[in-house]
Amino acid sequence: MVRGLLVLFFFQWLGEWISLATQAPIPGPVIGMLLLLLALLIRQKVSSDLQQSSHMLVQHLSLLFLPAGVGIFFLSEQVLAQWPAIAAAMVAGTFISLLLSSWIVKSQVKSDD
Amino acid sequence: MIEQLQQAFLRFAENSQLNQLSAIILTLGAYQFGQYCYQRSGRLMLLHPVVIAGCIIAAALNYFDISYQQYRDGSQLFYFLLGPATVALAIPLYQEFRHIRLLARPVLITVALGATIAATSAVLLAGLMGAEGEVLRSIASKSVTTPIALGISDKIHGISTLTTGVVVATGIIGALLAPIAFYFCGLRDPRLQGIVLGLNAHGIGTAVAFEKSASCGAFASLAMGLTGAFTALTLPYAISYFGI
Repeated sequence: MVRGLLVLFFFQWLGEWISLATQAPIPGPVIGMLLLLLALLIRQKVSSDLQQSSHMLVQHLSLLFLPAGVGIFFLSEQVLAQWPAIAAAMVAGTFISLLLSSWIVKSQVKSDD
Repeated sequence: MIEQLQQAFLRFAENSQLNQLSAIILTLGAYQFGQYCYQRSGRLMLLHPVVIAGCIIAAALNYFDISYQQYRDGSQLFYFLLGPATVALAIPLYQEFRHIRLLARPVLITVALGATIAATSAVLLAGLMGAEGEVLRSIASKSVTTPIALGISDKIHGISTLTTGVVVATGIIGALLAPIAFYFCGLRDPRLQGIVLGLNAHGIGTAVAFEKSASCGAFASLAMGLTGAFTALTLPYAISYFGI
């Protein structure tokens, strides 16, 4: 457990450091995730320790962003004025993107046959 | 009686350690209750734990007259853990990596095109309906798993609370509408359905995919991770290129 957390925090630290040093617009934790993935691909196995700590965090991901999500009830007036546009993007935008990606994935696999 | 309670809460809030504890207890308690309702309802999407818990917390803050900022300060712990949780997504991604070999090309092409379409359709539609800069930047990452979407939103100067709300709502809407899209496109292969779910509805879509079958869920988490990584690597550049 402790070793798993150590690995996760180390890679996040590495990612934040690279993000800061290179001024890249990519978030530090994402760089950390990609580096850890690379390390795992090279090493070809995941220790049970790391698996345990990552499982604990990933399993309750929605709990972790709950406080930020509550903010949707406390948006500024200026943002609320644009609410119809936001709703359209969420409902119609998501449906368009669902249809197109279903169609793309199907045509991709068919062309492989 | 109620006034006394409110005053007691205000005194609590002035003490930062108590403020943190109250925020943590409120968050954990609301989430626990949300999970209970979700299980009890037979996993009804509209009763996802985040929806129920979010409403409870918002109602509690309003009732006790606590500002959102104060609650946010108190609940830093959860926000902090999003960092290592993002890094931890590398583990399921690695475990599904061998699946890529089987369907490597269609998965990668679909994710690259699909993630671009998801962001473009959101920004275009909202832009056409009159949304402006900050709002557009906040909703561009709507189909990306929340921890990565929050990171992107911070980087491109979106409104992080709006991003989170939009991401969660997109996950629920996506999971609800996906069966209709599958029907229209005649998409029946559960692996391919998983890719579409993970791509458009991130963690919530992935959870729904795992309820269908293990391989559907595996492909959903793969698509979710790849969409997050692809969007994080490209969106910030696209935003500055198009000057949004």
